[in-house]
Amino acid sequence: MVEEKEITVNVKKYDKEKGEYWKSYKVQADRYTQMTEVLRKIKTEQDPTLSYRASCHMAVCGSCSMKINGEPRLACKTMAFTAINEKNEVNLESMDYYQEVRDLIPDMDTFYDRMYKVEPRLYADQTVISGENDERMTPSEQKEVWKFEECIWCGLCVSACPSVKEDEKFLGPAAHAKGYRFMADGRDTKKEERIGILMDSAWRCTSCYMCYEVCPQDVQPVIAIKKTKAYVDEFPGTTELITMARKHDSTIAESIGESGKIKESKLYLKTFGYVAAMKDMMYMMKEGKIKYAMAKDTDVKNMDEIKKIMGDKK
Amino acid sequence: MEKKEYDAVVLGGGLAGLMAANNVADAGFKVAVVSKVFPTRSHSAAAEGGIAAYVDGNSDPNDDPEFMSYDEVKGGDYLVDQNAAELLSRDSGEIVHILDTWGAPFNRQPDGRIALRYFGGQTYPRTRFVADKTGMALLHTLFQHATGFDNIDFYNEYYVLDIVKDGNNVNGLVAMEMKTMDPIFLKSRALLIASGGLGMIYQHTTNSYINTGDGYGIALRSGVPLKDPEFVQFHPTGLYPSDILISEAARAEGGILKNNKGERFMAKYAPHKFDLAPRDIVSRSMTIEMREGRGFEGGYLGLDLTHLGREYILERLTLAYDAAKTFANVDATKEMIPVRPAQHYFMGGIDVDITGVNSDLNGLFAAGEAACVSVHGANRLGSNSLLETLVYGKETGKTMVDFLKKHKNVESSDGVDTIVDNAYSYIKRETGEHFGTLLNELRDVMWENVGIFRDEKKLTEAVKQINSIRKRSINMYVTDKTTNYNTEVFNALETRNMIDCSIVMATAALNRTETRGAHFRDDYPTRDDDNWMKHSIAYLNGDAVEIKYKPVIVTKWKPEPRVY
Amino acid sequence: MKVAYYPGCASHGIAKDVDIATQLIAKDLDLQLMEVDDWNCCGGGFMDDKNEEIHTSLNLRNLTKVKEMGYDKMATPCSVCLNSHKIAVDKYDNDPDLKENVDKKLEKAHIEYDGGVDSEHFIWVLIKDVGIENIQKHVKKPLKDIKIGTYYGCQLLRPSNVMGFESAHDPHSVMDLVAATGATPVSFPLKASCCGFPLMGSNPPVGLKMANNILSDARNNGADMMVHPCSLCHLQLDVTQLKIKDQFKQDWTMPIVYITQLIGLAFGHSPEELGIGKLTAKYLRERGFA
Repeated sequence: MVEEKEITVNVKKYDKEKGEYWKSYKVQADRYTQMTEVLRKIKTEQDPTLSYRASCHMAVCGSCSMKINGEPRLACKTMAFTAINEKNEVNLESMDYYQEVRDLIPDMDTFYDRMYKVEPRLYADQTVISGENDERMTPSEQKEVWKFEECIWCGLCVSACPSVKEDEKFLGPAAHAKGYRFMADGRDTKKEERIGILMDSAWRCTSCYMCYEVCPQDVQPVIAIKKTKAYVDEFPGTTELITMARKHDSTIAESIGESGKIKESKLYLKTFGYVAAMKDMMYMMKEGKIKYAMAKDTDVKNMDEIKKIMGDKK
Repeated sequence: MEKKEYDAVVLGGGLAGLMAANNVADAGFKVAVVSKVFPTRSHSAAAEGGIAAYVDGNSDPNDDPEFMSYDEVKGGDYLVDQNAAELLSRDSGEIVHILDTWGAPFNRQPDGRIALRYFGGQTYPRTRFVADKTGMALLHTLFQHATGFDNIDFYNEYYVLDIVKDGNNVNGLVAMEMKTMDPIFLKSRALLIASGGLGMIYQHTTNSYINTGDGYGIALRSGVPLKDPEFVQFHPTGLYPSDILISEAARAEGGILKNNKGERFMAKYAPHKFDLAPRDIVSRSMTIEMREGRGFEGGYLGLDLTHLGREYILERLTLAYDAAKTFANVDATKEMIPVRPAQHYFMGGIDVDITGVNSDLNGLFAAGEAACVSVHGANRLGSNSLLETLVYGKETGKTMVDFLKKHKNVESSDGVDTIVDNAYSYIKRETGEHFGTLLNELRDVMWENVGIFRDEKKLTEAVKQINSIRKRSINMYVTDKTTNYNTEVFNALETRNMIDCSIVMATAALNRTETRGAHFRDDYPTRDDDNWMKHSIAYLNGDAVEIKYKPVIVTKWKPEPRVY
Repeated sequence: MKVAYYPGCASHGIAKDVDIATQLIAKDLDLQLMEVDDWNCCGGGFMDDKNEEIHTSLNLRNLTKVKEMGYDKMATPCSVCLNSHKIAVDKYDNDPDLKENVDKKLEKAHIEYDGGVDSEHFIWVLIKDVGIENIQKHVKKPLKDIKIGTYYGCQLLRPSNVMGFESAHDPHSVMDLVAATGATPVSFPLKASCCGFPLMGSNPPVGLKMANNILSDARNNGADMMVHPCSLCHLQLDVTQLKIKDQFKQDWTMPIVYITQLIGLAFGHSPEELGIGKLTAKYLRERGFA
C-alpha cells in the first residue's frame, strides 16, 4: 500500500466581511496527492467554505494558480509531498498583484484585459479563407508558434512580474507571448500592426526571467519579448522609450564592433545625452566612483574574430 | 433582478458553444456566452490526442469519408444514427480548413500540410493534432476568434440556475454572477446547451472538476429528455492513481498495454487491432485482466512506451510523459506508465436531431458532449469528440440562425423569481445534509454499480441508493453565508444536477437488457438488435424516470458482429 | 587552485571595485584567477535581444578561449555575464537551427568551439571549490552584530533549469557566504526581484523605481546593510544610491557592497583596499568594521 501521512495546510482566507485571516487544516495525503486533491478533500470533508478555482487537474486549463509556500504555482501541478516543509506544513495564498475576491480566488480581469489588447486572433488572407489558396506552414514555424501559443492564461507570470507592478503601460509577459505568437505566424496578415502594439511595451520588460521561471507550461514569455525587440530596427514608428532603446543598443553594438567590449562612459553619453550624463557624474563623484567611470579597459586584440562574428547584419 | 436581452444564449464556453456562438454572431445576431469558468478553463482543453478528419488532398489516398462513417457506426456498435455519422465525416475536412484560417497551430508535415496519425478504431490515419494538447490549442483558437466579435458578450464565471420558459418556448435562462452572487435574467428566444459532460458523478474520472452535468440537470428539470443516458465511456488509460488522462495517442504512437506477466494481453481480445481497439473493448479487457489476477498490486496495468525511444516520446507524447513524471513519478522513457480505466465521456445527452434541435422545447438546442445527436452511439471513437463539438457546433449554429430569423423574443418574464428562490433555499436552510457527504456517496454508487460491468442486481441497488440520496438532497444546506464567490452554493447546485443525471442514467441502464458498446451487462452479454436497436429517451418527471424510445436511423450499414 | 576568470566589461569599468575585491580575496584564498585570454563582451541583456546568433557566437568565443587555456570552467563575478554564457550554451545545445547559423559564424571567424566548458559564478566557486569552512578560516575580523540584507537579483538564479546551482525561489548561496563572515543574513521578499538595471537603457524611471523598491524592502526587513552578487546590480544599487535618495525623497541611504567586498572586510581588508564607495565606507567606520 501507498504510505499516507498527515500534513498541515495553512490557507490565507479572505472574505469581504472578515478580511484576511489564516486557517489550518490537517489532511491525509500520499506521494500521489496533488494539491488540488488536498483542497477538494478539505472542501468536501472539512470546510465547505474554502474557496478556490480548479478544473482540469492536469495543468492545461490554468485555473488553480496560487502561491504555494510563497511561490507562484499551479496547485494541480504541485504534489503535496513536494510542497510540504520539514514540519509537514504547506502555506497557500492567493496570487500576488491581483485584487483578492475570496480565499484563493483573485480577480483576474486585469490579466484578461492585457491579453485582449494584443488582438489575440489570426487574421488570415482572404484568398486562403475562400479556399483559392492553401496556406502552408513549415514544421519549424509551427514549433515556434506553438511554443508561445501553449500559454494557458493562468496569470502566474503577470502576478510575479516586477515590471507589471510598476508600469501600467507594460502589457506583461503572457500578452507578449501571445502577441509574438501571431507575429511569428506566417498565416497572419497583420504583422506590422502587431509590432506596433508590442514594440514600446517590449522595452518595458527587465528581462529578469521571472516569467520564464514561474510558467508551468515553459512558454518562456521573456524570450518572446526579446524576439519582439529584435524587430526594433525594421519598425518604422517610435516612442520616447524606443528612441532611447535604439540609441542605447546601437551604441553598444558599435562599441562591441569597434573594441569587442562595452565602454560605459561612451554608452552613457550617447544614450542619455550630455546633460543627464553630467548629472549622474555628480552623483558618482559624491560616491567616490568617478575614477572608475574614467577607467579605460583594453580592446580585444583579435578584432578580426569579433568583426567576423558581428559582420553580416541580420 | 438585472435583465439583459439577447437573440441567443449559449451555455458553455467550450468548443461546441464557441463554435455555435461564432456562427450565430457571424450572422449578425446578439449572443451571450455563459460559463461558470473563464472559457479557456473548459473541459475541451483537456482533450489530448486530436481531431479526426477526412481532408480532400491530405488524407490516405485509399481513404474516403464513407469509410470514416463506417468506422463510427461500427465503433458505436450500431446505435449511431448513420445520417449523423455521415454528416460528421463529410464536414470534417471543412472544419479543419476553418480551424487553419482561425490560427490553429496544427502539427505539420515537411511539405507544410497538416500532419495526421492513427487513432483507435480508424481504418486509415485521420487524426490531426497539436502535440498532445489538441483540445487546448483548438479551444484557445476558437475563444480567441470569438473575442473578435462585438456582438458576443461573455458572462464568465456565471453559474446557470435554470431555463426560463414561456409556455413551451425558450425564454432564456437565469444565472448567478459568482463573484457577487447577483442573479441575472438573460432573456433570449434561442438557448444552446453546450455545457459538456458529467464525469464528476464517478469516483474515477479523467474529467475536469467542473464536469458536473449542469446542462443535463437544467434540461431534465425543464421536461427535456436525455437520449441514451446508459452509455458511458471508460477510457482505458487513466493514470494510476490520479486518473489523469494518458491520451490514446500513446497507443496510437506505438504504446503497448502489458499485464503483470509482461504479456501484450490485447492480442487475446482484439487480435487485429490490439491496443488500438475501441475504448470499451480495451477497458473491459483490462478489467478482466485485473479481475483474474494479472494486474499489479493496487489495481493497475502497464502502458509501455519505452521501445519508442526518448526523443520520439518527448516530441510526440509530451503531455503523457509530463503527466507520468509529475503525477506518478514515472519516467515513461524508462519504465511502464501505471494505468487503469476511468470514466471519460458521456455518449448520452440532451436529445437533439441532426440539426441540433430538441423537439420537446421550442428554441432549445444542444451540441457537444451535452448533446446526443447521436454520432457516437454506444461507444465513441477517439478523436471524434473534438470533431463532434465543431461539426455539430457549426451545424447547430446554422440551425439557430434560421430559427432566429423566423422567431421573435417573447415579452414575458414569468418564472424567473421562482428559479432564484429555489437556488437560495439551500443558503437559507440552517441545518440539513452537506453536499460533500451526498456527492461522495453518489460517486461511489455510480462507480461500483453503474460502471464498466453491470448487471440487474447492481443496477437495482444503484437506483435504490440514488433515490435515497436524492430524497436527502432536498434538505441539502450551505454553511457559507457570505456573498462573494460562495463556491459552496454552486457545489450544492452542481450536486443537485449530478443526482438528477445519475437517477436517469442508472434507470436507463437497468432498463436496457442487452450488451452494446460501453453498456456491458454481465447478465445479458450479447447485443440484441431485434429488441434494442433503438435509442432510450429518458424523462425525469418529479421522482419518476420515464423511458421512451426512438428508432436508430440506418442509411447504409446493416448491423454486423463487432470484431476488432 | 587555478580557475579561468572572466571579469566582464562592467567590472573593468564603473564597477571596477567588484574586480578589485574579487582579486583580493582570491589571493587570500590561494585561488589563482587566470583572466580569459583576449576576452570579449558577452553582450548579455542586449545582444541576445538584438541578434541571437551574434550573441551566442560572442559567448562561445570566450568559452573557446577558456578551453584553449586548458580549463573546463570559467568563473565570473557578474551575474549577467554568467547568465549570458549559460543561456548561449543552452540555446546552442538545444536549438538546431540556431546552432547551424552560429557554426557558420564561428567557422568564418576561425573559432573552433566544441563544448566542455562550464560557466560559473565566482560565488559558486567559493562555495563548491573553496568551501565555506575554508572561508571561515580566513576570517580575521568577524562582522559581528550587523544585519546584512542578502540580495540575489535575477540573472544568478533564473532560469533555474539553465543556471542550475540552487532554487530560484529559495536560494541560499549569498546567505551562506554572509553567514561565513560572521554577519547575520537577513532575507527579504524582494531578494530575487529585479534591480531594474536592464531598464536603464530604455525606461529609466521604472528602473530606478525598482532599485528603490529593493533597497526599501531590505531596509523594512531590518537590514543595516546589503550585499549583492552582480557587477550590474552594483551599478544600479550602489552607484546610483544618491540619485535614488534624491528622486524618491528618502531620508536614508542603504550601505551596500558586492559579496567579495563583504568577505574582504571580514578577511581584514580596509574599505579603501576593497574599493568600497565613500558612503558605505563611512558607515562601516561608524559601526567599527573598518
